[in-house]
Amino acid sequence: MKPGTRLKSAACDTEVMVIRCGDGSIECGGAPMGEAKPAEAAPLSADFSGGTLMGKRYVDADGAYELLCVKPGKGSLAVNGVVLSTKDAKPLPASD
Amino acid sequence: MTKVLAGYRVLEVAQFTFVPSCGGLLADWGADVIKIEHPVRGDAQRGFVQWSGKPVDPDHNPMLEHSNRGKRSIGLDLATADGQALFYEMAASADVFLTNMLPGDRQKLKIDVEHLRKANPNIIYARGSAYGDKGPDRDRGGFDVTAFWSHGAIGWSLTPDRFEVPLMMSVGGMGDSTSGANLAGGITGALLHRERTGEALEVDVSLISSAWWSSGQGTAMAALNGNEFRNTMPTPGGSEFMPLMGFFVTADKRALALFLMQPDLHCRSLYEHLGLPELAEDERYNSFAAMRANGLALSDLVAQAVGAQPLAFWKERLKSFTGQWAAVQNSVELANDPQALANDMMIEVETAAADAAPLKLVRGPVQFNHQPTRTTRGPQAFEHTETVLMELGLDWERIESLKAAGTIA
Repeated sequence: MKPGTRLKSAACDTEVMVIRCGDGSIECGGAPMGEAKPAEAAPLSADFSGGTLMGKRYVDADGAYELLCVKPGKGSLAVNGVVLSTKDAKPLPASD
Repeated sequence: MTKVLAGYRVLEVAQFTFVPSCGGLLADWGADVIKIEHPVRGDAQRGFVQWSGKPVDPDHNPMLEHSNRGKRSIGLDLATADGQALFYEMAASADVFLTNMLPGDRQKLKIDVEHLRKANPNIIYARGSAYGDKGPDRDRGGFDVTAFWSHGAIGWSLTPDRFEVPLMMSVGGMGDSTSGANLAGGITGALLHRERTGEALEVDVSLISSAWWSSGQGTAMAALNGNEFRNTMPTPGGSEFMPLMGFFVTADKRALALFLMQPDLHCRSLYEHLGLPELAEDERYNSFAAMRANGLALSDLVAQAVGAQPLAFWKERLKSFTGQWAAVQNSVELANDPQALANDMMIEVETAAADAAPLKLVRGPVQFNHQPTRTTRGPQAFEHTETVLMELGLDWERIESLKAAGTIA
């Protein structure tokens, strides 16, 4: 898949921009994502319903996948059934 | 609101509140502000885990949004040669460089004036510092509590003279946001100058220059007469010499500010509104000179009248009073203040936080043509790296190799 491709969730409103990917299946809400939305929505799997947040990057443990959320939704992003985690900045803790 | 800075691009390499809040104002005014963050740590402000003892949700954080609304973020490591080369490419099409980096770091990262001007001779170079870009403290960093409030004498001057240490500056980035607005004004002036003459200037605002300006009248007085200004313990009522100036306690233990600088002009209207019309005919109280001779007695009379009714009563009652007065408000009242809302002081942004109500932010102090400010939430760290670099003309291969090297994130 070409980087820059936009994928849509079949189970929720989530849309992502693919930044980096391998050959695995990119899923959201338990269903494979595609460039077009399917005519009939897939059910949202309870195991993949953590939700996506606008502007966050989602990565796998090996660094092979990176997805940028451009539209949030109720499903969780996963590759081959393994949930991706957010890639956040790691600032020093501070307090006021 | 008219986007008065539309078409200008600003590169921001800055952390915490002072200089980022300047960038936020420039974005409010329409500039395309690109926030360059360290590719691992991001802006240090993102690390705030609590405010005033309460936890902060990093995805729904007013402290972060206040300063960063309307910007885009890219992760770029300026400590590498590739990162610097990319930064100069970005600088070539930028109008303003905005930074709070210390002089030594600017030099080390090669983002000092000399390097930037080589990349773009027309770029305006704007620095926000703690102590100014000249003098022995040039290299010292500072927060507004240290540079603005402490070094800048404001904390000490405002603290009642019975205390050994100043009050904490605790209204949330007061020195920072003030300094940020000052810097935004300076940059706007520099853009105007560049339009007219073609000359690109360096612009400096420091936390202490803002403290000096904020307390300019008092500081000039101290320079003139050598007397240290100190506050005294606040007590209800007016003073012996200015009995109609002060804070009076209402029946519901709130405070009402009366401030009659020209008492001859307004004392009759005040007496009438307080239900003390007889004082207008009383020669002890109806002229500036007389009331100074009977100050404490007059203050007591006013205090008694004000104390007979709650604040809500006075807010209605004093609407037709000719002089200057105010209800003393708290921060929650201010955030819901009808007068402020009528002047569009609050703007709403949708944050990344799922299901959260829009976050209310305070608009900048300037309004153009009576129009409300429209903006968007601040960026997630590195949210726009690829978008910004593709706009700049980078191909995906280069983006990927910079990413693999950790130069960008």
